[in-house]
Amino acid sequence: MSDSQGVGPLVTTSPEGRSGVGDGAVAAPSPAPRPRRRKRGSWRQRLEVTLLTGPAILIFLAFVIFPVVMAAYYGFFKWKGYGPPTDFVGLQNYLTIFQDPTFIDALRHNGFIVVMSLVMQGPAAVILALLLNRKIRGRSLIRVLIFVPYVISEVIVGTGWSLMLQTSGAVNDLLGKIGLSGWAVDWLSDPKIAIWSLMIIITWKYIGFAVILFLAGLQSIPEELHEAAAIDGASYWQAQRSITLPLLGPTIRIWAFLSIIGSLQLFDLVYIIWGQYVSATAGTSTMATYMVLNGRNAGNYGFGNAVAVVLFLISLVIALTYQRFVLRRDTEGALTERKK
Amino acid sequence: MKARKTLAVAAAVVVGAMGLAACGGGDDSGSNGGSSDGKVELTFWHNSTTGDGKAYWEDTVAAFEEANPNVTITIQSIQNEDMDGKLQTALNSGDAPDIFMARGGGKLADVVEAGQAMDLTDKLTDETKSALGEASLSAFSIDGKVYGVPTAVLPGGLYYSKDLFEQAGITETPTTMDELNDAVDKLKAAGIQPIALGAKDAWPAAHWYYFFALRECSADTMAQAAADMSFDDECWTKAGQDLQDFAGTEPFNNGFLTTSAQQGAGSSAGLVANHQAAMELMGAWDPGVIASLTPDQKPLADLGWFPFPAVDGGEGDPSAMMGGVDGFSCYVDAPAECADFLNFAAQKEYQENYATAFVTLPASKDAQGVVTDPALKDVLTAYNDAAYVSVWLDTLFGQNVGNALNTSVVDMLAGNGSPDAIVETVNAAAAKE
Repeated sequence: MSDSQGVGPLVTTSPEGRSGVGDGAVAAPSPAPRPRRRKRGSWRQRLEVTLLTGPAILIFLAFVIFPVVMAAYYGFFKWKGYGPPTDFVGLQNYLTIFQDPTFIDALRHNGFIVVMSLVMQGPAAVILALLLNRKIRGRSLIRVLIFVPYVISEVIVGTGWSLMLQTSGAVNDLLGKIGLSGWAVDWLSDPKIAIWSLMIIITWKYIGFAVILFLAGLQSIPEELHEAAAIDGASYWQAQRSITLPLLGPTIRIWAFLSIIGSLQLFDLVYIIWGQYVSATAGTSTMATYMVLNGRNAGNYGFGNAVAVVLFLISLVIALTYQRFVLRRDTEGALTERKK
Repeated sequence: MKARKTLAVAAAVVVGAMGLAACGGGDDSGSNGGSSDGKVELTFWHNSTTGDGKAYWEDTVAAFEEANPNVTITIQSIQNEDMDGKLQTALNSGDAPDIFMARGGGKLADVVEAGQAMDLTDKLTDETKSALGEASLSAFSIDGKVYGVPTAVLPGGLYYSKDLFEQAGITETPTTMDELNDAVDKLKAAGIQPIALGAKDAWPAAHWYYFFALRECSADTMAQAAADMSFDDECWTKAGQDLQDFAGTEPFNNGFLTTSAQQGAGSSAGLVANHQAAMELMGAWDPGVIASLTPDQKPLADLGWFPFPAVDGGEGDPSAMMGGVDGFSCYVDAPAECADFLNFAAQKEYQENYATAFVTLPASKDAQGVVTDPALKDVLTAYNDAAYVSVWLDTLFGQNVGNALNTSVVDMLAGNGSPDAIVETVNAAAAKE
């Protein structure tokens, strides 16, 4: 219970930008209190539950479930977006998607971003959280500096970085000034480097979120355990490894979940930095940018909806698998029936 | 199928609500114009977000409102790269602007086919028709009906800095590809970036391909491709090959793949405006865009122009030009005053102001005397002497194929495509429609 309450509000806003279709749908809904079993007289309680959850459920149906259903419906048509769709093509759109090498590329980039986000942010965030959990000089300043990027809007971050990383931009200029002009490369337009530039920007931007989560997780580890370990003669690092990390597990697993969902739906940073057309060329396209370029901007709304459905299904399968196998212990009793 | 109908209606309502939300301003009472007391409200979308161009539309609208006290026009200026997408969303939502920017070709044809554009054939005054002439109106004509009023003709060619050419020791403007290659070498030797290219927006890079195609393909082949959207003639592949060979000499500015066309000093127009690059292949709006990006925001004093060089063995007429027209169309349900406004803006006085504000060529022949910019005068001469003028291919082929074509050219320039792939891409894009 306490676990999921801590997570509840976070789930609805995925850490990587605005949540797209339905990640709210696959994330943990706040657990409804299970009424104590009574034979009769539960009508009042049912009414209470209906009244209290009704508005939320209605909004959820109208703005999450209904659009998902409509997208699935439109995805079976060739449709230019004007008037009702009439040209039914069955699964043709889906065939086109999976035969399109640029979509497969986008899918690969998404996979790379998912894995590298975890690898690059996880360990660094844990170390930073441990550091900031100790009494050091300037702690609050460091906290602010790490957390500020997460609060700045993606558009501003994207614009700022893209200006700095341009071939004739500030970064290369600086490298030239300190005598490292050999290090100056096409940060954004060289397909071998662009995705790493993107990863650095993502890490810089979202690590603050991970650090805050982990700091919160660290607060809930009882001090007595560390005292006991100290009495037993454990070194600082031993204590971190045997006490902190295992007890931080649930927090790390939830953060990883949010990070995966966010990475799968990454759109805004790429769209701002590489614009509408060249992200595929630079090797940084994602499924969402593919959808906008080939759906909305090409005026192929039926096809775009089919891409949205594919993106939704991929996110859903990954989210459910993760919840089933990784988060099972953490959410036991909140989302699933408690095993006796 | 009652259920499906309800679904569709509900969807339309939801989409409509989203369209409203997407309009930013959100309070446009848009397309229901006339109300009981004879007051008419119009919404007007154009793409000038800076300086004189924006001011021109504000002044022109104010003048129109003064002449027609019962009309109010709400202006929204939208960044050019966002215009297509926004307009498409607004049209789909059934809450479109009454007056919107259009460029003819396949893009306008899509809108007309969807029954979203007003037929202006009988609504244009004779003055408007004679001033604009058949040629520029034909860009907005579909099946013999006129759906838009041009404001500018925008033939393309190479804009260059005379100072930088002099610095590199180039005395004559290039007329053949060999001479252009030669100029590129000389500029490089002088430490100047030869050609600015805003490939981030895709279309500027694609323009290179279009111009090679214009030189390689005969007029008939170009017309044929527009009609059936097939690139089977080998001249299309040749054009791609030409561009690949040319790109192989590395003539473009550093990092051209992430350079935008018109936004800020780091854009391709900005590079020319600040003497960071010597040339740019662009349409006739370029002097205006460059002017807004020079340090003092004045037109670039040493800006010159020459037509796209001839290509050896090409089937196209060497004097042929490629260009677009900018203009405006009315939404199908817009009040009649929409056409009045377009007629109003097509008058000589306002066309002259337009040409001055945008530093470009006005569509009205009566107003072309106002062009003083030396580069633009050269453009105008070449335009009037051109054997034929083709519309930009991406405009011609419509949004879907046009975008795919543009992107595939960028791919090739980035080194992961090929001339053949460009042709394949167009066929693949057609499968998504």
